[in-house]
Amino acid sequence: MLTFVIYKSILCVVVFGVSLGVAAYSTWWERKFAAFLQDRKGPSRAGPFGILQPLADGGKMFFKEEIIPNVSNKFLFVLGPSLFLLTALMTGVVIPWGKDLIIGGKAYPLQVTDINIGIIYVLGVTSVGVYGIMIGGWASNNKYSLLGAIRASSQMISYEIAMGLSIIALVITAGGTLSFREILEKQDAGISNVMYQPLGFLIFLICAFAETNRAPFDLSECETELIGGYNTEYSAFKLGAFMFAEYINMFISSAIMAGLYFGGYNFPFAHELYSAMGLQEGSVAISLIGFLVYFFKICLFISVFMWIRWTLPRFRYDQLMNLGWKVLIPLSLFNLVLTVVVEFFRGTIVF
Amino acid sequence: MGYSITQWLFGILSFLAIMFALMVVFTRNPINSVLYLVMTFFCIAGHYLLLNAQFLAVVHIVVYAGAIMVLFLFVIMLMNLNQDTEPQKTLMTKLIAGLIGGVFLAVLVGTLKGAEQLSFSQTGASQIGMVKNLGIVLFKDFLFPFEIASVLLLGALVGAIMLGKKEIK
Amino acid sequence: MKALFIISGLGILAMLAEIFKFKRALYPLVLIGILAALVANFTEFNNNESIQAFNNMIRFDNVALAFSSVILITAFLWFILANDYFTNETSLTDHFSLVLFALTGALMLTAFSNMTTLFLGIEILSIPLYVLAASKKNDVKSNEAGFKYLIMGSFASAFLLFGIALIYGATGTFDLLAIRAKISEGMPLFFYAGIIMMLIAMCFKVSAAPFHFWAPDVYHGSPTVIMALMSTVVKTAAFVAFMRLFLVGFGSATSVWAMAMAGIIALSLIISNMTAAAQSSVKRMLAYSSISHAAFMLMGILAVNPIYSMRAILYYALAYSVATIGGFTVLYRVEKQSGNTYDDFNGLAKRNPFAALGMLICMLSLAGIPVTAGFFAKYFIFTALIGSTYKWLLVLAVIMSCVGVYYYIKVIIAMYFKKPTHQEPLLIEKSHTLLLAIAVVLVLVLGLLPNFVLSV
Repeated sequence: MLTFVIYKSILCVVVFGVSLGVAAYSTWWERKFAAFLQDRKGPSRAGPFGILQPLADGGKMFFKEEIIPNVSNKFLFVLGPSLFLLTALMTGVVIPWGKDLIIGGKAYPLQVTDINIGIIYVLGVTSVGVYGIMIGGWASNNKYSLLGAIRASSQMISYEIAMGLSIIALVITAGGTLSFREILEKQDAGISNVMYQPLGFLIFLICAFAETNRAPFDLSECETELIGGYNTEYSAFKLGAFMFAEYINMFISSAIMAGLYFGGYNFPFAHELYSAMGLQEGSVAISLIGFLVYFFKICLFISVFMWIRWTLPRFRYDQLMNLGWKVLIPLSLFNLVLTVVVEFFRGTIVF
Repeated sequence: MGYSITQWLFGILSFLAIMFALMVVFTRNPINSVLYLVMTFFCIAGHYLLLNAQFLAVVHIVVYAGAIMVLFLFVIMLMNLNQDTEPQKTLMTKLIAGLIGGVFLAVLVGTLKGAEQLSFSQTGASQIGMVKNLGIVLFKDFLFPFEIASVLLLGALVGAIMLGKKEIK
Repeated sequence: MKALFIISGLGILAMLAEIFKFKRALYPLVLIGILAALVANFTEFNNNESIQAFNNMIRFDNVALAFSSVILITAFLWFILANDYFTNETSLTDHFSLVLFALTGALMLTAFSNMTTLFLGIEILSIPLYVLAASKKNDVKSNEAGFKYLIMGSFASAFLLFGIALIYGATGTFDLLAIRAKISEGMPLFFYAGIIMMLIAMCFKVSAAPFHFWAPDVYHGSPTVIMALMSTVVKTAAFVAFMRLFLVGFGSATSVWAMAMAGIIALSLIISNMTAAAQSSVKRMLAYSSISHAAFMLMGILAVNPIYSMRAILYYALAYSVATIGGFTVLYRVEKQSGNTYDDFNGLAKRNPFAALGMLICMLSLAGIPVTAGFFAKYFIFTALIGSTYKWLLVLAVIMSCVGVYYYIKVIIAMYFKKPTHQEPLLIEKSHTLLLAIAVVLVLVLGLLPNFVLSV
């Protein structure tokens, strides 16, 4: 029992640390990527290739003056960013980061907890994350913040529907389980779910952009209309918390996409490779390779997020809502029906 | 004390749920009321977890806390309601409401007297709340209510759209 | 069973009409559909195969079929009455589908056999009605009606759910027959609390005093045709639900609820008749009188006479619905021309003799004057109750019927003996004339041949 608790605590800390680290370096990579696309150099002063830039940014955030507007609700003003950061970090716990380690005959899963409804847990936690933005925006007592908050949260709850529907289609294909771990294990042969669910993946991808409030759906922080969006009144580390949470959300949603649709730590011909290298099932090396493969996929997805951001212009708000309600939801319903019909003829569903 | 962890958790969660529910009623600021209501929903989700019904717990949060209450919050924020705009009730109204509520509470507490004679089969961690078992119950025993609920939702949907629609001229 | 599917399918068809542009064909389609459902109902009579469907969630036994036929007949008449309600281009199909969904809920309530289906039925019936009550969007009164109805309805639903939860806690089942089988002497106290809560909730739904405060405002504020729907179809459905719940489910626990119900009936009779007598608007008078009719139907439940009370309620529901539809047809036209006070009825006999005659017969039926259906309806209820211990209630009911005669006769006096305030004749379009004729004929036929319905 004690070793279990210690192991899980260590794993929790590691997952949180990795999330925060990835989020920090995503900011650096975002700027480098933008610079590359715009034929600039990007951050280059702090360390080689500006590699220390996130640390410098973090330090600046930390030492800036903390401003709490006089007329705001102080408790809620602090609660907003904290809640947003908390929920962003909480989603990481259901993701299996690699194959189980077997040390001394005991299996140590590289996943904090395997609940049998992992995917819905993620949806639930992200839906609570909306409150962080809403509370923060409202407590600022600033109409731009409020408008930004309302935009962000209505867009998040609208796109959650299409996202949920595409997940249901995926669950039907992936063998009727809501557990993350089992979905990943079903892709063990190297054939990833995106082969069966291309449309579902596309819908999920678009929804993931909207859920993380990233361009081209970053209406909530549309500078030309709303100054800074829901975080207009925030400064110092509370602003940092909002930004961090956004990058963590991006990291987690990349991890979810890579896991659900692209096999996570599995890759084609993995077993052949392992046996060629003479590795035992459950050895540290296999777990490590799996983790690195997963991490590579995640980084690719994060890059896609950035690529899109610096390529596509921002939507208008009514276009965003039309896309969500009139295109994506019918499309995902169609996808669901199609999936059920196909699976019925494949014989996986019995009525 | 012979209480197990589950019993302790149940007690704490129930206390919190009731406290937050009372705060919903007693706070003056509508925004705080909504937030307390959300907290109440979390406590109820905790109760579901204690019953080993994880699916229900999460769905409860997704639907109530994550969607419905957000819309409540929207409306309250956009209408900019705060404690000044809430009409004051007269003392008489408060008194009568308190009296009726108190009597109702007394009756309910009184009727719980016979509850201890009921015996429930205690089977440790029940598996009924698992998503698979829930699905089987829903699609076998409760198929008709499950399907007819779609008519209910459709009706509500049509109604909301009808009320919100602009007149075509 | 088939009727339920036909009606809910019609509701969805109504929504498709918007997309595929056959709005014009919708009205006749709905009428045909309701007739088809009625025919389907008749074919299922005495056919025991379809009784137990869906794991005993819903039971279309003969009682349910009879009541659902009454509801369908009333709905058919109502659709004729409401032909010009469905003219608004913007929300024509929405109105159709909302009414049909409400009708689906009404049919479910006639046949529920499980607490879950009871709750869903009540909600399916109520939610479209909240919207329909508020469907005159620019009228403050209508908005108020919808809002009040919503709040009160949700309040009642909360009571209902709490009651269901307590009963489930005591018996461990939602099934009505299983609950009936489990009722014994040693039930925990909160089981009875659950029954009382469900009683309160159902009284809210049928608007019996002292839970009637919403009803007059809601009825008065809603569009007149919607009020006609609420006081016929909805009332019948709520009553069947009430009856099934208390006669089938809690029939062996009468000692708990009978006394409370007797009090509710007495209060409803007194309050509704006294207030109705004081109204100056016919529409509002009809709203209060519907509370009084609710009290009469409750007396049928109170009788707890397994064969007789169901028949009495069936007959009462049919007689009341038909007469009300007839009365509303005239009221609707009069209201369109001038207004809904008694004065607007002045001299109607000269302005439109046929409408006045129709109104006369419908009012006499509602008042319970012999030869009309209303008389026998009251008579059956009284005979059902006479065997029980609540004879004092009968005395009260007879006295209150006399008060009722007063305010119904007031309409007749206005029509026949007062000078018209408006000189121009009242025009009634053909379909409404036909509807009034059907209603009058039904009232008289039911009155002359009361055994026709009872033999079912």
